[in-house]
Amino acid sequence: MKKLLLGFLFAAFASLISQRAYAQVIVIANPSVKASTVSKAELSDVFTGNATALKDGSHAVPVLLKSGTTHEEFLKEYIGRSDSAYRAGWRSLVFSGQGAMPKSVESDAAAVDFVSHNAGAIGYISKATPHEGVKVLAIK
Amino acid sequence: MKKLLTAAMMLALGVTSASAQSLEDLNIQIHGYATQGFIYTTQNNILTTSSSSGSPSWTEAVVNVSTQPIPKLRVAVQGRYFLLGNYGNSITLDWASADYKVSDRFGVRFGKVKTPNALFNETQDIDPSYMWSLLPESIYPISSRNSILAHNGGVIYGTVAPIKGLGKFEYRAYGGERVMSADDGFFLSIKESGANFTNGLSGPTWGGALHWRTPIKGLMLGVAMDREDPTGAVTIPAAGLSGYNLSSPFKIPYFYGTYERKRFMFASEYSRVAAQHRTALTSVPVSSTFQDQRQWYAMTTYKATDKLTTGIYYSSELDRKASFGPGRYQKDWAISGRYDFNQFLYAKAEQHFVDGTAIGYDTGLNPNGLKPDTRMTIFKIGVSF
Repeated sequence: MKKLLLGFLFAAFASLISQRAYAQVIVIANPSVKASTVSKAELSDVFTGNATALKDGSHAVPVLLKSGTTHEEFLKEYIGRSDSAYRAGWRSLVFSGQGAMPKSVESDAAAVDFVSHNAGAIGYISKATPHEGVKVLAIK
Repeated sequence: MKKLLTAAMMLALGVTSASAQSLEDLNIQIHGYATQGFIYTTQNNILTTSSSSGSPSWTEAVVNVSTQPIPKLRVAVQGRYFLLGNYGNSITLDWASADYKVSDRFGVRFGKVKTPNALFNETQDIDPSYMWSLLPESIYPISSRNSILAHNGGVIYGTVAPIKGLGKFEYRAYGGERVMSADDGFFLSIKESGANFTNGLSGPTWGGALHWRTPIKGLMLGVAMDREDPTGAVTIPAAGLSGYNLSSPFKIPYFYGTYERKRFMFASEYSRVAAQHRTALTSVPVSSTFQDQRQWYAMTTYKATDKLTTGIYYSSELDRKASFGPGRYQKDWAISGRYDFNQFLYAKAEQHFVDGTAIGYDTGLNPNGLKPDTRMTIFKIGVSF
């Protein structure tokens, strides 16, 4: 019984940690993007190459982080894929002539810089990263 | 043309070695991948390799260069080196197209373009994009890498959601000319039977596909239709005959669906090829052959970890017009796994249990005749950027 309780507590703690980790990723957009809220489905469509605009008509250009915890958490939470599966999807588009790989940047700061200077750009960063010049999108 | 392509691929590889990231100022991107396979079989040699002794004769390398001068216009070209036994050992142009996307609802692509039919036709030659070493051969034979997969002409495409709550519809419609060059792997077994298509086969093609992303999360249902009308000059040197192959135009329907939920993916597809092929040779009455192939498969994959994916499929083909015997059908159970070491490097392993000899066998490498069943083991390693 003790083991069961310990197991349950561990699972609950892990779940809290996991939610807390996801909460550390924020989605940012260039101020030209009209929407202030987007759905997970919209975000997934933009970042998987299925859409180039949000529902409100705003042009959307995804920018990726090359690797790291923030990148992996974003993919898991909002795209529902691992990094390898996500890149495999983009390779399908690139090598079949249906799309071009989205811009990738090395760091959160580079993501903020790119998003702030490019109309329609949407990216993701760690919540702790300074993000002046961009707007934060709420995810519903 | 081959020299030009070789030079272009070498140049692209050279630039790529410096950086695979987009060349920002020109909005140019260069990507590519390379794979090396190893095949070992029991009983028969398969895929035109000496596989019963173990064969590494399966290499592919692809270079893709694209530019996006304005946001809605993308121009791209892709070349491929393909070696698989006697099916091919050459550099070819996969596709070269300009794509103008007006909006998510409408876009047009023209040039030499991937033909958007069936579930995997556009991506069946893109090894890094899926977990299998061999896609189900009943619908996706590996003998041709560019003739059947692409056509000269255009595609219109888009995604619409006409009724709220009913999901999305992705449409594709295409038309143009299909050109199968004489050295295409498709003709290998025909050559072995003594006939030569001196200039290959060509003819008009058109068709389309409709994918319904249903309101049920992860469920997609699709239907596609391909229409072909190939003709070409044929000779039978041993008999001193020449003439034309005049197939009646035929349509190939495809019905398919996929369902993704958490770590699982399920997919299934059915297709039928019913055609009459007529051969008109000088001083010989016109002869006809018929095919009525029913093909289907069902597959599932499971993502065990972020880096390891496993899967199993069953693939079946039966030609109801063919003579009785193992050459009439092929049933294939495959168990597969893929491991991604990192973003660039991956490895695959796959075991096939094949019954029947309808797909992928040749007489040249099986001079003592074919046994009715084969066990095939495949290892593959790939790198992409």
